[in-house]
Amino acid sequence: MSIPQQLARVRTAGCTAGTGSAAGSAPLTEDTFVARPLAERAELALREGPLTYCLATGLVIRWAHPAVFHVGPAGTMGDDAALRVCGTLPRVPGARGATVLVAAQGPGGPVLFPVDPARTSVETGANLAGEPRDTLHLSDYQVPAELARPVTPELLSEFELRAALSRAALMAGAAQRCVQLTVAHTATRIQFGRPLGHFQAVKQEEARLIEESALVGAAVEAAGEALERLGAEARFEVAAAKAQASASVAEIARIAHQLHGAIGFTELSELRLATTRLWSWRDEDGDEAYWSARLGRAALTQRPEQLWSLLTGAN
Amino acid sequence: MTALQSVQTLELRREVRRFLSEERARGTVLGRPDSWLTGWHPEFSRRLAERGWVGMALPKEYGGGGLGFLARVVVIEELLAAGAPVSAHWVADRQAAPSILNHGSEEQKKRFLPAIAEGRCFFSIGMSEEQAGSDLASVQTRAERVAGGWRLTGTKKWTGGAHCNDYAIVLARTSEHEDRHQGLSQFIVDLRAPGVRVEPIRLLTGEHTFNYFHLDGVEVPDGMLLGKEGDGWAQVTGELAFERSGPERYLSTFPLLVAVVRELSDKAATADQQVRLGALMARLYAVRQLSLGVAAALDEGRPADVQAALVKDLGTRLEGELVHEVRRILPVAADAGATPGTYPELLALALLHTPAYTLRGGTNEILRGIITRAVEHKEQQS
Ligand SMILES: Cc1cc2nc3c(=O)[nH]c(=O)nc-3n(C[C@H](O)[C@H](O)[C@H](O)COP(=O)(O)OP(=O)(O)OC[C@H]3O[C@@H](n4cnc5c(N)ncnc54)[C@H](O)[C@@H]3O)c2cc1C
Repeated sequence: MSIPQQLARVRTAGCTAGTGSAAGSAPLTEDTFVARPLAERAELALREGPLTYCLATGLVIRWAHPAVFHVGPAGTMGDDAALRVCGTLPRVPGARGATVLVAAQGPGGPVLFPVDPARTSVETGANLAGEPRDTLHLSDYQVPAELARPVTPELLSEFELRAALSRAALMAGAAQRCVQLTVAHTATRIQFGRPLGHFQAVKQEEARLIEESALVGAAVEAAGEALERLGAEARFEVAAAKAQASASVAEIARIAHQLHGAIGFTELSELRLATTRLWSWRDEDGDEAYWSARLGRAALTQRPEQLWSLLTGAN
Repeated sequence: MTALQSVQTLELRREVRRFLSEERARGTVLGRPDSWLTGWHPEFSRRLAERGWVGMALPKEYGGGGLGFLARVVVIEELLAAGAPVSAHWVADRQAAPSILNHGSEEQKKRFLPAIAEGRCFFSIGMSEEQAGSDLASVQTRAERVAGGWRLTGTKKWTGGAHCNDYAIVLARTSEHEDRHQGLSQFIVDLRAPGVRVEPIRLLTGEHTFNYFHLDGVEVPDGMLLGKEGDGWAQVTGELAFERSGPERYLSTFPLLVAVVRELSDKAATADQQVRLGALMARLYAVRQLSLGVAAALDEGRPADVQAALVKDLGTRLEGELVHEVRRILPVAADAGATPGTYPELLALALLHTPAYTLRGGTNEILRGIITRAVEHKEQQS
């Protein structure tokens, strides 16, 4: 399946998430779109069972068997590739029931390795939508040599892009769900003897909601095509898609809730399943400030005339 | 948009960029905001035409490039991003040409299309009137039958370029009906014909693009009725998809963003400046993708009215937001009297044009009505 096709599925999952519909389970996305393809790329043979991921920073990773007489540019070298890891993997999606594929800076460059939560101390938690976000504390966690993979910076970068883009695709789905529920609501809820959708003030807001959701969808779709074509080079497109998806959340959730009235603020409506996810997902895998700063830096590191080339992806 | 990544389009884009850098060196392309409204430069239009970049989407038999909408989009987005002076041929290329191609007689096609593609024939839009703004169907300009043609009487308002263009496509009432959408027709009116009187209306900047366009019993021969008598409303609404979705609906202020990046690139930008600039880039990227989607639909002959309305509302709001955000990124007093091309001068120009972005081509409030109607309709059917 091509990346755009896979992303279309992810988007559907984001649209139905939490509704009990079979397609709608977020950890599936973490497995199928991010962790598994990258583990395969790195030729990591993992035991069966679901996968999730963490792009970790701030871990202390050292060689399990340092060769004290062999000091290279990156400090001591290892006798083999086995590692020992200390630190925290914060708010990992569904970690309590999955193997965590970790990408981090190791002593000799980027590494990829799996972490079995059973051998860590697990602090369970949840995001605003109640999806599991578990923090794992690793104290001298041992990674055997056959499971520690040095990887290229490109692979690490593609890891981050896939994570961000799949999150953005989930968000596009949830945004679409906000539109569906709101349009259905304003078509059926009667006030002043007419459906809400009849009133100009309602129409104006509803159109903005539809537009903002379409905007996120278009950015995600285009970034998916770019990732398919360019791999880790699709930095600009993916950053734009996640930055925009996150930036659009406030407006999408605001309008959807406003047009629902009180019922949307309660468990009587399904709207919360979409909006609480949007409020969480906008922060996950890099928020809009993180990705916008990257775009801004990219724009400022080239000649001003190149700004347009950056936007069009054509030089 | 994989079609946009094809070798031909990439080559075309490079060619336009080479041309633009020559024109920059020549001093014609100056990175001006809103250059499709006020950048009137007939010689530049002709140089574009010589390269085949006017009337690109027209069939070859009528002097066009036979290249489709996507190729045209590549060229015009490059021109707008560079702030090139394209207003002389703008309406002719974007609107009059496809209208005449779709509705015109063979004689009209032979007469106007090759001239448009050569950059020798410029058009105005004569739709709005004093009493017919958003409510366009209430136009009061009348066309009465006379021997061999029609006599047009009334006053159009806001007619851009009527003082310097060659023709206008005028929407006029040809008969009375209960349903106001019936009985409207379009005419191609020679702006130098007897009875035409053009009176300037200055913009708040003092610039002259708008006019009152008086038609005091202007005689229009039969051959200049565009399309069928009474089909004016359908023809006008068909035009609007072309008018609403193009890159001019989100790029009008892009040259100001280039200007602020130029200012910032000599300094160490703060984190906040980077984030704000990046957020604008993300939104521009996203709107562009939506707009390209409409171009692809038009290219394949699929209906795109609703998508076009959506692009226009998002894109034109962004044009205005960009101005205010740029001012936050790098605060400076906007100064229309500063040296042309400097940041304070470009900021003033883009700012003083902000009221136009969300009004022209059908106000955004009206467009939002179109969007909700369509979505509700779809929802009811599913
Ligand atoms: C830069 C520029 C160039 C133009 N060029 C041309 C041209 O070349 N030829 C031409 O024919 N026309 C031209 N126009 C005119 C343009 O098409 C009209 O300005 C536009 O259709 C709106 O009409 P109006 O200005 O009379 O505003 P009005 O229709 O009076 O509207 C005023 C306000 O009320 C709102 N409003 C009106 N009705 C409704 C409703 N039913 N629901 C909600 N809100 C509503 C509008 O959205 C707007 O905010 C141009 C306009 C501009 C700004």
